[in-house]
Amino acid sequence: MSGALRYAAALGLAVMAALAGCTNDPYPAADAVEKILYQPFDDPPKTLDPQVAYSVVDHMVIGYVYDTLLGYHYLKRPFTLIPGMAEQVPEGRPVGGGRVAYRFRLRPDLRFQEDPCFSLSGAGARSRQVVADDIAFSLARVGDPAVGSPVLEALGKITGLVAFGKRIEERRKSDPAFAALRIDAQYRAAGPIEGIRVLGEREVEIVLDDAYPQILYWFAMPFTSPVPWEAVATYTGEGGADSFAEHPVGSGPFVLARYDKRSRIVLQRNEQWYGVLHPEWKAPAATYPSEGAPGDAEEGLLDPAYVGRPLPFLSRIELRREKEPIPTFTKFLQGYYDASGVIKESFDRVIQKGDLSPDMRTLGIHLARSVEPAISYLGFNMDDPVVGAKRGDRSRKLRQAMSLAIDSKEFLRLFANGRGIPAQTPLPPGIFGYDAEYANPFRQPDLERAAALLDEAGYPGGIDPSTGRPLHLTFDAGDTGAAALLQFQFYTSAWRRLGLDVEVAATSYNQFQDKVRRGAYQIFTWGWVADYPDPENFLFLLWSPMGRTHGGGPNTANYSNPRYDELFVRMKAMSDGPERLRVIDEMREILQQDRPWIENYYPERYALYHGWVENEKPAGLSLPTAKYLDIDAAERALLRVAWNEPITWPAYALLGLVVVVVAPGIVTFLRERQ
Amino acid sequence: MLAYLLRRLAAGVVTILGVLLFLFVLFFLVAKPEDVARKALGERAPKAAVEQWIVNHGYDRPRFWNPDHPADTMLVDHFRRMLTFDFGASDADDVPISKRLREGIGPSLSLTLPLFVLGLLLGIPLALLVAFFRDTYIDRAGVVACVLLMSVSTLLYIIGGQYLLGKILRWFPISGFDPVPGVIARFLALPVIVGVIAGLGDSIRFDRTVFVEETGKDYVRTARAKGAGEARIMLRHVLRNGLIPILTQIVIAIPFLFTGSILLESFFGIPGLGSITVDAINANDFATLRTMVFIGSLLFVVGQILTDVSYTLADPRVRLE
Repeated sequence: MSGALRYAAALGLAVMAALAGCTNDPYPAADAVEKILYQPFDDPPKTLDPQVAYSVVDHMVIGYVYDTLLGYHYLKRPFTLIPGMAEQVPEGRPVGGGRVAYRFRLRPDLRFQEDPCFSLSGAGARSRQVVADDIAFSLARVGDPAVGSPVLEALGKITGLVAFGKRIEERRKSDPAFAALRIDAQYRAAGPIEGIRVLGEREVEIVLDDAYPQILYWFAMPFTSPVPWEAVATYTGEGGADSFAEHPVGSGPFVLARYDKRSRIVLQRNEQWYGVLHPEWKAPAATYPSEGAPGDAEEGLLDPAYVGRPLPFLSRIELRREKEPIPTFTKFLQGYYDASGVIKESFDRVIQKGDLSPDMRTLGIHLARSVEPAISYLGFNMDDPVVGAKRGDRSRKLRQAMSLAIDSKEFLRLFANGRGIPAQTPLPPGIFGYDAEYANPFRQPDLERAAALLDEAGYPGGIDPSTGRPLHLTFDAGDTGAAALLQFQFYTSAWRRLGLDVEVAATSYNQFQDKVRRGAYQIFTWGWVADYPDPENFLFLLWSPMGRTHGGGPNTANYSNPRYDELFVRMKAMSDGPERLRVIDEMREILQQDRPWIENYYPERYALYHGWVENEKPAGLSLPTAKYLDIDAAERALLRVAWNEPITWPAYALLGLVVVVVAPGIVTFLRERQ
Repeated sequence: MLAYLLRRLAAGVVTILGVLLFLFVLFFLVAKPEDVARKALGERAPKAAVEQWIVNHGYDRPRFWNPDHPADTMLVDHFRRMLTFDFGASDADDVPISKRLREGIGPSLSLTLPLFVLGLLLGIPLALLVAFFRDTYIDRAGVVACVLLMSVSTLLYIIGGQYLLGKILRWFPISGFDPVPGVIARFLALPVIVGVIAGLGDSIRFDRTVFVEETGKDYVRTARAKGAGEARIMLRHVLRNGLIPILTQIVIAIPFLFTGSILLESFFGIPGLGSITVDAINANDFATLRTMVFIGSLLFVVGQILTDVSYTLADPRVRLE
């Protein structure tokens, strides 16, 4: 055999060997039969400190690592609170002076996960019991300015919490010896917080300055999760130590086993979790529920094989970073992710005639639709001299006219593949006060009526009498992307039909923020996703103390209406019932007429799941629901192999082509040179 | 030569200082500390939390001038941190930036090193081959193929590679990264193949031109007249002499192996320094961004000086004055 032939043969063998080892499986073979849930994430978590973390991806991790005193029923809608680490959902108890107390009693034998930090509380200790002092410590952290918790405004209703924060800040500034103390010693030395009373090893009472029933929802979120002082004291991020924001130590159903936050996050079942240690308790947040919402049984969500079984069913949750949507979706179709949204690039392939396409059904994929407790809206800056409140009835009619021009159904058809419900009020479905029958008279597209209102407003045909030209307004936005600009043009085109000249002033996000701070904006678009399922969490977006320009709050419309404010304060202190509904209806009427917002739509989420995923029910809220999910790993492994058999013939064909094309040339050339 | 190097070094220091000043001014012209805080804390953070974040991160100090404490300004702090390599913590998540650099350099090098080596191992022999068969249909086809390769955007190679090799042929994972030995190669194969192909046309064209120029020189004619074979002439004489200009291109690229590949890392989900840079841009993370730009400019200056030095080492006729 000549040298060239030997070389070609060796190359061919190398290619064959390489191809034999080729696979698009991103996971180790040993994991194929494990009950692992694979999920993608895009941006890396910012922090895993439960008192600080506020983004969805942060909660994707800490929601499992840190347990909460209360939780949400997995299946029931509207959302219902259930006991978590606490034995019961407490009820508010007036304690005089308008203050209200909530008493939480912890379950016995709740344990933190194992971690070396516990050696601080005893040589060789690897874990310890969760006690009421841990709740007090976590709440004190919310008040500590050095922690920078974003929810102090809400939890600041706890008597003395804000004062504690001021006290500790002053002591740190004025006394270096105090500032050098360990964190638990600092908190002790700063004095007690009046509204946090530890009544025993397992009992703590929280006292609020005034009635705020929504406080219970905060105890179903990680902001109030107990954290061990030992972890905060150990993981200071100084002198080479880990940072507590990257080294969580919790008592939840999973522990963080690996944290490469830019590529891979692994959560491993926590064998110390009370649900695992004590399945005999049948604790509501650690047992698969036996009842649900109407239709759940038909959907197979009350399968006797699962009802009453202890959670979690999964051994591990694997989060892999994916920055681009198309490769993520492709990997879902290859079976390497268990669930996915529907990306716009593949919508027509996935959804046909409002349901799953035959292709997707063949793959065993199923679709879960849910309207999110969220709203997208257009807003007017009510401080603006033209569209704002100062012009009274004239600008109100202008806003009403502009509201009538926006066809949200068409918007959803064009930009969201019809996924969403045209919004009528700030309250989305699933939130107390939402009325599916209510039709806002200014949210039914009607150009004729809009033109009449413009006429009444003093802008006949959209003409501003002071200039003789179409009324010029600006639509301010912090997104200059092509897709966003198309959406903005949809709005401006609708208003142009009324004769108005609305210019899109799209800038960078930072410049837009600057405009908002200065109050230099007229019309904008914004959205809101519920923190918790209560009307207060939406209606406060229009409460005047939350004004954006003056107070930095989320009321970007800077809406201020004394009657609305008064009703809001009443409503937020009330429990759900007919009286609360009456108040909400009156607030709705005020907004209907005033039109600080043009309610656009409630987004609808389409979630795809592979057939091997059991018990899925989208929540909409950022809740840790994976503990209820189960995976048929054997079926998944079989289907992955079937779907991903490598196609190797093109490699051989390419190799052959190279030989056929190049070899004659080489032979001819060498012959000529000789 | 020493005087020349010192001059270059001084010019490099001035360049880096200029870059740092420009970066500071540019960033604070387009972003205010409130914007950085809002990005870090989220849109929902109340004003008090935003203000606290600004204080905690030292962005409440005067930017350029503090009459009471001239050294206590953001500008002075910016220069002090960069020039002492005390990069501080990320604005996005408070992680020490030095830790982030340590974490990112491994994934970056695991991508750029094989990319670099394979690019050379394929590019130089193929260029030599094309030059060897100059004026034949192989040469002409090679040139056309190179121009085609150069004309296509890297982005298209990435998307095409993911579609063809990951989705259709199922040879490699479409994206992802796992540094576990034995698994890492599976993730790197596709970005390396895509990266090599994307850069191949350019390097073959350049190297071919160098080799073809060399083949016309007197020493090649002499070797041929002495009866040396074509293969021997190409491998022993042309390759060795042609490598001098190629070497300079190689040396200048070496420092940038450490900064990773922004596009490949982003699209293939490799958590290297390129990806960290993109994340910093998206997150308004000025602290990380300025560090990456500082390191980039530092490596650029080092690369330039190394290139000059490599000239003298490779070609004794070159003297740096």
